[in-house]
Amino acid sequence: MSATLKPYLNAIKHTLTAAICVQNFNSQVVERHNKPEVEVKSSKELLLTPVVISRNEKEKVLIEGSVNSLRISIGIKQADDIEKILCHKFTRFMMQRAENFVILRRKPVEGYDISFLVTNVHTEEMFKHKLVDFIIHFMEEIDKEISEMKIALNSRARLSAEEFLKRF
Amino acid sequence: MILLEFHNRIVEETLTLRFRNAKEGNKPESIDVTVADFDGVLYHLSNPENDKTKIIVSISLKFYKDLEEHGAEDLIKREYGDFMTTAEDAQKDRVTVIFSTVFKDDDDIVIGKLFMQEFKEGRRNYQQAPQVLFSHKEPPMELKGTDARGGDNVGYITFVLFPRHTGAAVRDNTINLIHTLRDYLHYHIKCSKAYIHSRMRAKTSDFLKVLNRARPDQQKEKKTITGKTFKMN
Repeated sequence: MSATLKPYLNAIKHTLTAAICVQNFNSQVVERHNKPEVEVKSSKELLLTPVVISRNEKEKVLIEGSVNSLRISIGIKQADDIEKILCHKFTRFMMQRAENFVILRRKPVEGYDISFLVTNVHTEEMFKHKLVDFIIHFMEEIDKEISEMKIALNSRARLSAEEFLKRF
Repeated sequence: MILLEFHNRIVEETLTLRFRNAKEGNKPESIDVTVADFDGVLYHLSNPENDKTKIIVSISLKFYKDLEEHGAEDLIKREYGDFMTTAEDAQKDRVTVIFSTVFKDDDDIVIGKLFMQEFKEGRRNYQQAPQVLFSHKEPPMELKGTDARGGDNVGYITFVLFPRHTGAAVRDNTINLIHTLRDYLHYHIKCSKAYIHSRMRAKTSDFLKVLNRARPDQQKEKKTITGKTFKMN
């Protein structure tokens, strides 16, 4: 793990641990409704100040907290066109399966590549620290996976080009 | 299978089997085979008018109309419909062959670029290979003044062939290789995408496993050795 990645992930981990303290909260506007306040933003006093943790221009995390929910948006590093495509494909692939990933949001927040929405229901059903671990694990792995896929693509291109040119 | 074959394996095998049978004097069997090949090409092997001693091989090509229009004059001077055009420019000591190919998908362009980059670089290790150039969006200099089209999804591949590629002995090989290049390129782009997809699938299920670890285990009912259970009230 590189020198800057560790403190970056550490900062995210601690911020998440703090932000994940959510509780059940009925809607103040509609009787017998219960909505994630971070999404509906019905009143200001229920929202916490959003936090952006960034490692560089591309790699950043936006954590928006509220009384009963929390939204985590991740920007994934994309150094070139290939990484951009791979990242886009991967996030789209996951978001199409959002119903399996209970905390995954179907659409990313503007300016980010993938978003998670954790509500009080999730924190009641699941261990909070494990949820945080999942986010961290996800961030570690997705960078690794994208660079591995890129390497595989490159080596395939090289191999096929060499095989072709060898035949002349 | 890294290199594509120049022939269709199924057609070849079916036909050689029939020919061998005929040579050995066996009774001819009826035949009716339809085979699909890369890029929507269809082969149909059948007996005309139920005459088992004759075999007819039909090929359906999407771009046959264009072929007809331009006339397949030379073996290499082919028009591959909208998706592929070949231009060549013969000089005393070299032949330049230029392909244009249209990528249907935006992602294909980027992957195609990557592949062509490797074609350019791979040449260093193989001195006998012709020079390969790749240009994206704009047609190369040689085609200036023609109505070659540009655009975001068009790529041009240029081969510079020297006499050692066009000698009588190696000419067939060179022609075969060059005219399979487009299929070869697209085939490998598709394969890479399939590979990426299978990797994503594996990784996604891996992520899912990690996420499900966050759920507390369902408490299993514990039993004593005699099979009794205790309940907490």
